[in-house]
Amino acid sequence: MSDASPPTQLNVPPRTLAMIIGGGIVAGTLIVLGAVVPAEYHMDPLGVGNLTGIARLWAPEDKKLDTNSASAPLARSYDIALRSDVIEIPLTDFLGGAKGSELEYKVRMKQGATFVFEWEAIGAANKNDIHFDFHGHTTPGPNQSMTVATYEQDYGTSQKGALTAPFDGIEGWQFSNSGDTPVVIRVKLTGFYELVPAGEPGNEARIVANVPAAQARPDFKPLH
Amino acid sequence: MQGYRQTQTMLWLAAMAVAAAVLAPAASAHAIGGKDAAFVAATSGPDPFPFIYLGAKHMVTGYDHLAYLAGVVFFLYRMKDVLLYVSLFSLGHSTTLLLGVLLKIDVSSYLVDAVIGLSVCYKAFENLGGFRQLGWGINPRIAVLAFGLVHGFGLATKLQELDLNPNGLLVNLISFNVGVEIGQLIALSIILAAITLWRLTPSFGRFATAANALLFLAGVVLAGQQIAGYFITGG
Repeated sequence: MSDASPPTQLNVPPRTLAMIIGGGIVAGTLIVLGAVVPAEYHMDPLGVGNLTGIARLWAPEDKKLDTNSASAPLARSYDIALRSDVIEIPLTDFLGGAKGSELEYKVRMKQGATFVFEWEAIGAANKNDIHFDFHGHTTPGPNQSMTVATYEQDYGTSQKGALTAPFDGIEGWQFSNSGDTPVVIRVKLTGFYELVPAGEPGNEARIVANVPAAQARPDFKPLH
Repeated sequence: MQGYRQTQTMLWLAAMAVAAAVLAPAASAHAIGGKDAAFVAATSGPDPFPFIYLGAKHMVTGYDHLAYLAGVVFFLYRMKDVLLYVSLFSLGHSTTLLLGVLLKIDVSSYLVDAVIGLSVCYKAFENLGGFRQLGWGINPRIAVLAFGLVHGFGLATKLQELDLNPNGLLVNLISFNVGVEIGQLIALSIILAAITLWRLTPSFGRFATAANALLFLAGVVLAGQQIAGYFITGG
């Protein structure tokens, strides 16, 4: 190698250059059509996206709903029975990790259905230990977009109020305990809703309603 | 010997296709999103430091800009040349970043990003000696300035997709641009150090062609996904 004039370009033989450019264009196009387009744009021109599962990476964008500007008749009647439930949700301290200290509980509601609620965190040492996300969303089928409504996200150990569902879907809370003591969230609900069967969206934690906290989460054994 | 060469090239292309296929899912349209977009929407009035941070973050995480810069400095040996080319690139993208936003020039970000992808192909082709073989004498300094202008439009379209408040806009834009330069400096130092160290080893001579072939392929993927996005989403 001479120090006098280092190369500023390569001198690739024309055949190799043609192969690099041709191969690059072909390989690049295959990658775009086979992987990028299925994952990002929900089209699968080569069928590779479905074959490899890359197509499953695509997800519809969430639609956010304005939760402060709805209007509904003040008096309403429903064709399902009024029900009342007490749900005791045990949460571990933060050392229990996300599996133990965070949990989502929702109920299924028709659009326009109402419940009144009250919940409190029993055993929380201070107000900032518990974060709650009071929200609801539709449960879309494949390729449909999900509509999301966020009602309140805050720290606190209790909340009471009422909710009228803005769409057919599931409504409820995500609770997380960042404190160093285990807590029980006792949720009281009365209204026109259905409980979500264990394992389905809204009750993936398989919470059993109307039993003491010790039996409410039979599938989960805390580490300590 | 010729046969061995070709087999080797084929193997390289195959390896690159695998590498690019692994990287491709991460290569979605590179926009400013999530909490950063929410922050920009909530900002009213001059707020220089957050915008500097956003500009630097956009550049450091902007693989399309970085791929092009890697191509530009690939065969630049002297600091003087690096400074010259990078200054021309910065001059180009600062101009269109500021003018694009202030004059509200509205170009499809898919098309701008497609051209940015093609700029990566262009530089790889130039490094491979392609233009010389075609007998085209394009001044690389003018090319780097021109592509700088395009990259700046890319930044401008990303910023315009956000809710920019006119209050304090100029300060925030200049801050974002300063951030872009800082981010570029950080990224470039790392790229330049890596390439300079690599040049000292014998493997540089062996793999320089392969590296630019990979760069070309990356450019095709970057451009291709934007063209696909343009036609599928309708711009």
